[in-house]
Amino acid sequence: MSTATTSAPAHVAPQGKGVNFARMVKSEWIKVRTLRSTTVLLILTVVAMVGFGALNAWGTTISAEFSSDVPPEAQAQMAETGGIQGMAYSIPPSGVAFGQLLFGSLAVVLIASEYATGMIRSTLVAAPQRIKALLAKVLVITVVAFVVGVLSALITYFVAQPILAGEELDYALSVDGLIPSIINTGTFLALVAIMGMSIGALLRNSAGGIVTIVALLMVLPIVFQLIPNDFFQETMQYLPSSAGTQLVSVQTADDALTQLQGGLVMAAWALVLLIAACLTIRRRDV
Amino acid sequence: MIEARNLAKRYGAKTAVDGVSFTVQPGKVTGFLGPNGAGKSTTMRMIVGLDRPTTGDVTVNGKHYSGHKAPLHEVGALLDAKAVHTKRSAYNHLRAMAATHGIPDSRVREVIEMTGLAAVARKRVGGFSLGMGQRLGIAVALLGDPQTLIFDEPVNGLDPEGVQWVRHLAKGLAAEGRTVFLSSHLMSEMAQTADHLIIIGRGRIIADAPMQDVIAGQGQSRTRVRTDQPQVLTSALAGDGVSSRLLEPELLEITGVDVKRIAYTALQNQVLLYELTPLQASLEEAYMQLTQDEVEYHSVSLAEEPAMAGEGK
Repeated sequence: MSTATTSAPAHVAPQGKGVNFARMVKSEWIKVRTLRSTTVLLILTVVAMVGFGALNAWGTTISAEFSSDVPPEAQAQMAETGGIQGMAYSIPPSGVAFGQLLFGSLAVVLIASEYATGMIRSTLVAAPQRIKALLAKVLVITVVAFVVGVLSALITYFVAQPILAGEELDYALSVDGLIPSIINTGTFLALVAIMGMSIGALLRNSAGGIVTIVALLMVLPIVFQLIPNDFFQETMQYLPSSAGTQLVSVQTADDALTQLQGGLVMAAWALVLLIAACLTIRRRDV
Repeated sequence: MIEARNLAKRYGAKTAVDGVSFTVQPGKVTGFLGPNGAGKSTTMRMIVGLDRPTTGDVTVNGKHYSGHKAPLHEVGALLDAKAVHTKRSAYNHLRAMAATHGIPDSRVREVIEMTGLAAVARKRVGGFSLGMGQRLGIAVALLGDPQTLIFDEPVNGLDPEGVQWVRHLAKGLAAEGRTVFLSSHLMSEMAQTADHLIIIGRGRIIADAPMQDVIAGQGQSRTRVRTDQPQVLTSALAGDGVSSRLLEPELLEITGVDVKRIAYTALQNQVLLYELTPLQASLEEAYMQLTQDEVEYHSVSLAEEPAMAGEGK
């Protein structure tokens, strides 16, 4: 072998082939589909969200039964968001209260598990433009989240109607703001997915990432509510899950964020985390 | 062609790679030899852009790895057999890798056949033995039919048949004109596979030469001499870089001077020689000698250096 030629390489890379964003997305899509745990968790999320909505519908019918017992001032407060009927309208997207935790965690795990298994090195050798590689991953999970969110809200709507019909609270899909609310359930989950994956990319650790996203979505609002200080009461509505609740509302109270404002606040959270993730993934060794 | 220029990687106070420069030429197997912890893997990771060099620069075929439009068609790298999601099957892992470059499924099946993974391709990688993991890593490296191949410790965990397969593969790829860069701490493996050697120790290049030169370069200065007057010969030869050891009452091993000068000196001093044998060092001896020198420069921190792994490992 010591006499091997040192002439120019005989090999030339095939023309027209190469890595691009669309191909990265396709690769990430294959990765999402080929892990059983991901598929199971996605189905579980739909089931949990629909189940949560059905329970909510049942609870609403019970509230309706006793609505005459509700004190007048509470009735007035409820009327602002449409009263009992308004509560019924808010059932389709109500599963996000639960779905956001599942989906946020799934998004964390999808990237953190690549760091845990070393898969991220294969990913970044195949797609060395790291920010694009991360964005391809984010895009796939975002689209999946959107579809899961819309689907869950829609199924919840159909599951809830027979339950609500008992108290004559059932309604048509044509109710003002209902279709946007169902679509925005997808937007909510999509934004949670971006947040989760960004946190996963920043922390590179599943356990730490899940704790962080759950703290951000669930623990922080509770803490803010418990602190009897105007600042915390005021800023609470800008926390991602509170803003998200406004985003998926059919009707919003006068003094609260509108759907669009809520969506923008949540999008800002997602964007800041995503930018932080992009900046760090470019710099760090893997 | 891989070109490293003054490439260094420091982790805080620890220097993993200390300003190395080398060129890996196409058409031959270049061995990257060094003890564990010498900086082989870090260097290879910098080549494909996983680690960012602290200083210096490394290019593949004239460009940074990440600057290539089709990196998998330029460079195939086996850096870490475990760089795979353990819950995914080998086939799906390859499919996901191939998708980034629009490489068709037929090629995926081809590399599965080539690497002998057909029987386990549908199984989860988590259950693979180290040897099967290595084969999968090599399959990924071959996916893009690249011009340059980088294999980090490819024979780790392989059975003898697998070791031989890797050896033939590396030589075959080089014979096709490709650049093959192969790291190992196994000297016997290198001796049989590589045409050119780059030896690294403590983050620095100790030797960069054709295999024959590395062996000869260390061996040519050692000569076994039998004489009835060893003292006379030793003092007559004494000078710069010449040392001699008395192995037996009349047997000397002389280092640092060529055979002809020994004979000439003996003739001048009327010393009888009855054996004069130039010693050809094995790669192992050459390697030990080279790394020993390197260690001597750093004798203060010698205790921290991981023990040189023997061939039996």
